[in-house]
Amino acid sequence: MLELLQLAPALIWLAGAWARVYRLARFYQIEEYMNRRFLRWQAASWRRLIPPRSATAWLAGWAMAWLAAADSSSAGLSLALSAAALIAVYPPRAGEIKRGLVLTDRLKRMLAASTLLCGLALVALLILGERVPAFARQPGMSASAGALVFLLAPLWLVAGNFLAQPVEETLRRRYLRQAAATLGRIDPTVIGITGSYGKTTTKHFLREIMSARYQTYATPQSYNTLMGISLAINRDLAEDYRTEYFISEMGAYVEGEIARICQLTPPDIAIVTEVGPQHLERFGSLENVKRAKYELIKSLGRDGVAVLNWDNPYIREMAAAGHPGRIIAVSRQLSLDEAREQGVDWLASEMEPSLRGLRFRATHLPTGESALLETPVLGAHNASNLLLCIAAARHEGVAMRDIVGRVRGLQPAESRLALSTTASGVTIINDAYSANPQGIVSALQTLGMNRAGGRLLITPGMIELGELQETENRRLGKLAAQHATDIILVGAAQTKPILEGIQSASFDMRRARVVDSLSEAVDWYRENLSAGDAVLFLNDLPDTY
Amino acid sequence: MSRRRRQTVAVLFGGRSVEHDVSIVTGQQIMRAFPAERYDVAPVYITRDGRWLTGEPLRELDNFTDDGVAQLDGVRACLLSPDTRHHGLIIQPLAGRFRKSEVKRVDVCFPALHGTHGEDGSVQGLFELADIPYVGCATLGSALSNDKIVTKVVLRGAGISVLDDFAFTREEWLARPDELLAGIQRAFDFPLFVKPATLGSSIGIGRADSPELLRASIDIAANFDRRVLVEPALADGIEINCSVMGFGSACQASTLEQPLSWDAFLSYEDKYLRGGEGMKSADRLVPAPISPSLTKRIQETSVAAFRAVDGRGIARVDYLVRPERDEIYLNEINSMPGSLAFYLWREDGFSASDLVERLTQLAIEAHVEKRRNIYEYQTSLVDLAARRGAKSGKGKA
Repeated sequence: MLELLQLAPALIWLAGAWARVYRLARFYQIEEYMNRRFLRWQAASWRRLIPPRSATAWLAGWAMAWLAAADSSSAGLSLALSAAALIAVYPPRAGEIKRGLVLTDRLKRMLAASTLLCGLALVALLILGERVPAFARQPGMSASAGALVFLLAPLWLVAGNFLAQPVEETLRRRYLRQAAATLGRIDPTVIGITGSYGKTTTKHFLREIMSARYQTYATPQSYNTLMGISLAINRDLAEDYRTEYFISEMGAYVEGEIARICQLTPPDIAIVTEVGPQHLERFGSLENVKRAKYELIKSLGRDGVAVLNWDNPYIREMAAAGHPGRIIAVSRQLSLDEAREQGVDWLASEMEPSLRGLRFRATHLPTGESALLETPVLGAHNASNLLLCIAAARHEGVAMRDIVGRVRGLQPAESRLALSTTASGVTIINDAYSANPQGIVSALQTLGMNRAGGRLLITPGMIELGELQETENRRLGKLAAQHATDIILVGAAQTKPILEGIQSASFDMRRARVVDSLSEAVDWYRENLSAGDAVLFLNDLPDTY
Repeated sequence: MSRRRRQTVAVLFGGRSVEHDVSIVTGQQIMRAFPAERYDVAPVYITRDGRWLTGEPLRELDNFTDDGVAQLDGVRACLLSPDTRHHGLIIQPLAGRFRKSEVKRVDVCFPALHGTHGEDGSVQGLFELADIPYVGCATLGSALSNDKIVTKVVLRGAGISVLDDFAFTREEWLARPDELLAGIQRAFDFPLFVKPATLGSSIGIGRADSPELLRASIDIAANFDRRVLVEPALADGIEINCSVMGFGSACQASTLEQPLSWDAFLSYEDKYLRGGEGMKSADRLVPAPISPSLTKRIQETSVAAFRAVDGRGIARVDYLVRPERDEIYLNEINSMPGSLAFYLWREDGFSASDLVERLTQLAIEAHVEKRRNIYEYQTSLVDLAARRGAKSGKGKA
């Protein structure tokens, strides 16, 4: 009985460790199970690594045990230690949760392994404690063992992931084989889209436009990894024999990833939207980003077609690097003469961006085919995305008048420069998804078009831009000062360069404020904005920031 | 196109129709006409009693000489799935416990079916459900032009001249034949033609010179269809046919033909089997020996009629013409003419391959046009009904 009571503190710590593993799993998932990124996030803050309440409670318990050393096996001490453990492991209040834990099968297997590891570690520590004379029968020994297990929770998670690897690998292989077989059976024409940004928007546009003529399937939301695309194929394409076109968004955080995706879904057409300093933190350098995106063009067959955004210098370099297929270049920035000279195929001109949408003329220079396009989609940068889609769709035989009709009916992808008006007459421009240096220019210009009232910018700034992060955010600050009348920055630490940028542009600093959370910012705008005002939500950071 | 895969065309022939055998001939001609390098042809033979079969042996006309075609090696039962995701045929497995049925994707359906269940909109309805492009008129155009009585009503509305007619149902005929006979003779003078409302290829059609023959002809026609019509036969008329091909505003009329056996009226065998090589060698004059202005008028009328019945793909429009009086009467519209009127289009520079490829292309165009319609409309009606307790019957739509 007493034995059991002595074990109680350790078991409470263990339960706490389990709960902590479960809580941390959400962040591990956000970091896409990348150990280095996850552990770095953990280590970034002491409070995160060693929760102060837990540490204090443990120390207090330990001190009690020390003082009561004479009577180390008393039930009272065990109860006191249990109480301390309870205080230590009681879950902290969860902060703002933008993205909750998604219980995937993989995560379940990983959590099972981690849970098992916690238990085994505690048993091992307790046995060790009994065997090593220096620790044996020390007061609070079992509690300390439990505390250690609790403290190392992030490691159990990582180790659990490691342990589940062989199982995952087998399942992964089977899954990929199944996806490849499905795709072979349905045999659609594959269009691959990659780029540092603009992928999802372009995919969404292209699906709408291609559907004017063909049965077109596009991978949903941001399913842009090898496993995500396999999942989409296995789930949605398996029985769908009518599919004529398969649009696959190919994302990459490391070199070689797109090449692997292309092995699964060999592209007939490759579209590259933009190459820039997005996710630079993960790639290391722009050079690596370029190489990663080039993999898509390299995977094209002899009769493959690459549709390229010619306004992007990195993409032009890619084209120069050689390619097996044909190239269709599109531009919205070149003049007619420049475009002719550089062999550009599709040119956008007569651009008229407004708060109601976008108007521009698309011209196919080799044939002179031309059409005036109107779309409710906002932002000049979307002319590039649309032009890429038009070029691909025309190449595949979709009639221009069908394209014009579809473009007129387009809606912006969710949270990507989407415009709405609240009941109180405030215009909300939502560009909450992964802002990038190209997109923010359009977004801020769009905000700047609101002349009916105030123009509020709410942003936490841009991230993952590596060495360019400071410069780009300072530039964001300067630009914001030009287009906005009020600015709210979310989070003091990472928005510092923005604030500097704003200051350098001699913005009235009384109209700029820094808050801690998005909800505070929303509260402020609810109170202070009225009909005619506009608010731009620019970027939304993951919970790990 | 970056990669054009071979198109799979399912050619349907046979069918539950008195024109079953004609359809087999037309089907074989169509399958032979598709160039193998661009098209993969899947034969679908519908037996007289309505079984669906597929398999390579069905591409040989010789295999149809007796009824054992279903037992041939490589012939398997199949069905065209109305589930849009299959987009094609579900083919039953050959014998064997562990074999699974397979799905064969079809890009275009080509019904070479004549008459009931094939030319009357019913099989077209299945194609619509399956959402597969198909050659020829849609449900409305097929159903409409298949019915001689309704066709005339519509064409009169479109200002196209047709002969007067006297129409009645089998039920009426059985109940009071004498009254109807008297009515017919009051309306028209002999000779007369008696026709079932919906059959083609001259089946069930009779020519009557006397009240006795009229009665006998109606008895025969009423065996073939529930509705019957009687028209005056123009003694000095000649028959002229014109084919139309196209979709929407882009329709063209073919060279005209004059079938020659008018005086003795074509019997079924005459029309299809003279010379033993199908319709191609039936006696006819191509081009028809009428004046250019009359030819032009007939061609324009044909296109107008084709559009009036919402035709698409191909049709053959048949006329009675009095050349010396400059009178034309549209007789009927065949939405799936025998042998696709190859022999007329040949005169206009279309080979058989050109013709089937053009028709396949038109089928796809029509399907693309259909895609411009919206079929999915998000409503919250079900949610609303569920909340209001539609389950308990209190909700009201």
